[in-house]
Amino acid sequence: MQTINFSKPLNRMLAGLVLMSLPLAVVGQANSGSVSSGPSYEDILQGFADSSRWLTYSGDYSGKRHSPLLQITPENVQQLRPVWTFQTGTTTRGRGFETTPLVDEGVLYVTGSNNYAWAIDAKTGRSFWQYRRNLPSDLTYGASSPVNRGFGMLGNSLFMVTLDAHLLSLDRRSGEILWDVVLADYRVGYAATMAPLVIDGKVIVGISGGEYATRGFIDAFDPVTGERIWRFNTIPGPGEPGSETWPDDADILARGGGGSWMNGSYDPELDLIYWGVGNPNPDYFGATRPGDNLYSNSIVALEAATGQLRWHYQFTPHDLHDWDSNQIPVLAEIEWQGQPRAVVMQANRNGFFYVLDRVTGELLLGKPFTGTTWAREIGSDGRPIVLNDGSKGCLPDPWGGTNFMPPSFYPELDLFFLTARETCATFVPEEPQLAPGQASFGGVVFIDNEQGSGALRALDVHTGELRWEFTYPSPSFGGVMTTASGLVFAGDHEGNLMAFDAESGENLWHYQTGSRIWGAAPMTHILDGRQYVLIPSGTTLTAFALPEE
Amino acid sequence: MKPKNYLVTNFGVMRISVCALVSLLLLGGLSVAQAQQNNPLASDPRAAGAGGVIFRAQCATCHGADAKGIASIEAPDLTLIWTQDGNTDGSVFATIQGGIPGSIMPAHGFPDTEIWMLVSYLRSIATGGATRPFTGDADTGQRLFNANCAGCHRVGGAGSTLGPNLAGVTARRSQDSIASSIREPSASIGRGYKPISFLSVNQGRVQGVIKSEDAFSIQIMDSNQQLRGFMKSELSQMNREPNSLMPSFSIAELSDSELNDILGFLDQQR
Repeated sequence: MQTINFSKPLNRMLAGLVLMSLPLAVVGQANSGSVSSGPSYEDILQGFADSSRWLTYSGDYSGKRHSPLLQITPENVQQLRPVWTFQTGTTTRGRGFETTPLVDEGVLYVTGSNNYAWAIDAKTGRSFWQYRRNLPSDLTYGASSPVNRGFGMLGNSLFMVTLDAHLLSLDRRSGEILWDVVLADYRVGYAATMAPLVIDGKVIVGISGGEYATRGFIDAFDPVTGERIWRFNTIPGPGEPGSETWPDDADILARGGGGSWMNGSYDPELDLIYWGVGNPNPDYFGATRPGDNLYSNSIVALEAATGQLRWHYQFTPHDLHDWDSNQIPVLAEIEWQGQPRAVVMQANRNGFFYVLDRVTGELLLGKPFTGTTWAREIGSDGRPIVLNDGSKGCLPDPWGGTNFMPPSFYPELDLFFLTARETCATFVPEEPQLAPGQASFGGVVFIDNEQGSGALRALDVHTGELRWEFTYPSPSFGGVMTTASGLVFAGDHEGNLMAFDAESGENLWHYQTGSRIWGAAPMTHILDGRQYVLIPSGTTLTAFALPEE
Repeated sequence: MKPKNYLVTNFGVMRISVCALVSLLLLGGLSVAQAQQNNPLASDPRAAGAGGVIFRAQCATCHGADAKGIASIEAPDLTLIWTQDGNTDGSVFATIQGGIPGSIMPAHGFPDTEIWMLVSYLRSIATGGATRPFTGDADTGQRLFNANCAGCHRVGGAGSTLGPNLAGVTARRSQDSIASSIREPSASIGRGYKPISFLSVNQGRVQGVIKSEDAFSIQIMDSNQQLRGFMKSELSQMNREPNSLMPSFSIAELSDSELNDILGFLDQQR
């Protein structure tokens, strides 16, 4: 096992300070000549302050995916054009790239399906190195969803999870493995697909596999040594708080599901991590797991130092529809009934948009953003008033009213942008056979293929009301990004990358990438004074910019 | 409420039968060579039911509970696989086991016996096949086909492309199902044949069937069988017609006997 020196030379820190005060045009050249030790925790903490960087999945810890870059505007976005494309040379179709590239010092760090990864020249799209993991032939969850959503980065280390449920550290200069640790036994049904979250002295990762008889967790690892610092089990053990929401049966708890398969958000002042938890298992069959089944379909606020649970809120008690709550938690400071309030917002797979107090977990708002017939309101006790258990259409289908495609929050407008899916499904539960390595959905779902559409929606965060929408012909998995110049960028299931006026919803530009944009959202950065927008689709990554003067 | 096409099984009983069958066959032993070609469970009436249980647990999420596929993720309709050239028990076994490289269909590490059960299940739900023999007069049918159908449909390389190719249709669909599509074509219009009309700024009134569309553009085959693409911003009066471009043939226009003759002709065109 190799260790890395993360100590940061003073001159690098000073360079960073100088760099922040320079005009954008020279950013990117500021580091030439000095030996780079890579970004520190403080750099990640700065979020978008240095727009030549995108150092964590959502661009900053808040999950807003809202860049301050101003070069591309509603007035000039019509001139946006592709500068280069990068093709993986691999053949995964349908679900290809789901990654958000990271960028630092002009180099993109990109993960692909089947645990490929690359370092790519951000200017030309040419790769410096490629990594490919030798995967075992008997993958479980990872065989059916062979995707990856991106790297975490700290110093010269990259962090990537794998389909055989490992966490790797790679040297960002070479793609070589620095350390490799096991998260869980993939043969039981585990896999890992999310982008690790790097905070001060810790790499936080979650796990996939809630469709199998598994038990989810959130882990913190030492970035240098790869040693595990803490684990939070998303399904409690016998006698632990939350276990009263399950049958008194250790076996059922041990395979209760609760995947943690997307990146969480982090509040450095409260030192709390906000993380979404997935469905209980079996997905559709609830008779063997009476109760609310905590902490499935919940958001958990964990103390970063210890992994201890501070609070939780369960969106869908006793879920029967695979409505994972792994959508990105978005942290923001908004005015709430005349007072400033630190909130966490989530557009949930169950078709509701939620605003919670970030300190206490108090529910402030829960409003449907789809035509769901599952429920239309949240009761005064904070629980949904269930109207339809799924035996009659139309509920959101198992892919949900939205899903893991990132949303975006535009603070200056108080608008939350998300991709909504309007679907109609009927659920027929059936007791599954349980066996290690065998999926246990617990029934079947009839999806009405004739009814289905998608939309980019802008929600007023104070009321959850729809401000505007742009509709798509089919339910989309494309994500969203906003820029402070007044633009919303979004992808759709037909393969378009689009730009909209954030206030009016007017479509200003689109480009057909040639393959659906699935689970991925745009990112943006500045290089040599030029703003780039990147979107993965299929097995291609495309970079766009305005024409050079 | 259960949708009527749901394959109802008593799960408890079925689970026992799966286990029993697996043990029985494992004891009996299957040779590898045998496993690649012929389904050793083909004559076992329990195999399809057991395969159905495995299907619903392992395959239905992508292929749908009724195995008819989910269009939005390009998971194909598995009730039609046997009508495709070259598909055999062995090739379907190999596809389940090895997946389809380059697609989202993964490899599956199921025991061979369970894969054969799935093959048996897929055989049991194959759409069509003649429920009763096609007895119509093929020569009369050919004349009627040329007069009534060939303007839009084709078989054996002759005819037109506005409607679906009908070669092999008698293997895919039952006699009743084909007959009802002729009598009431608008009752169910397949993907790729949904009608639309609109006014184009430069090209006037256009009518055709939708092949593909996104938020900004639409790709159609027009009523002259020409493939044409349009930007939606250039179109007005867009009307998604509920009625198929195919006229409905009442008994007065096409007697049962004449309809049977057409089916007899089509049955020769496999």
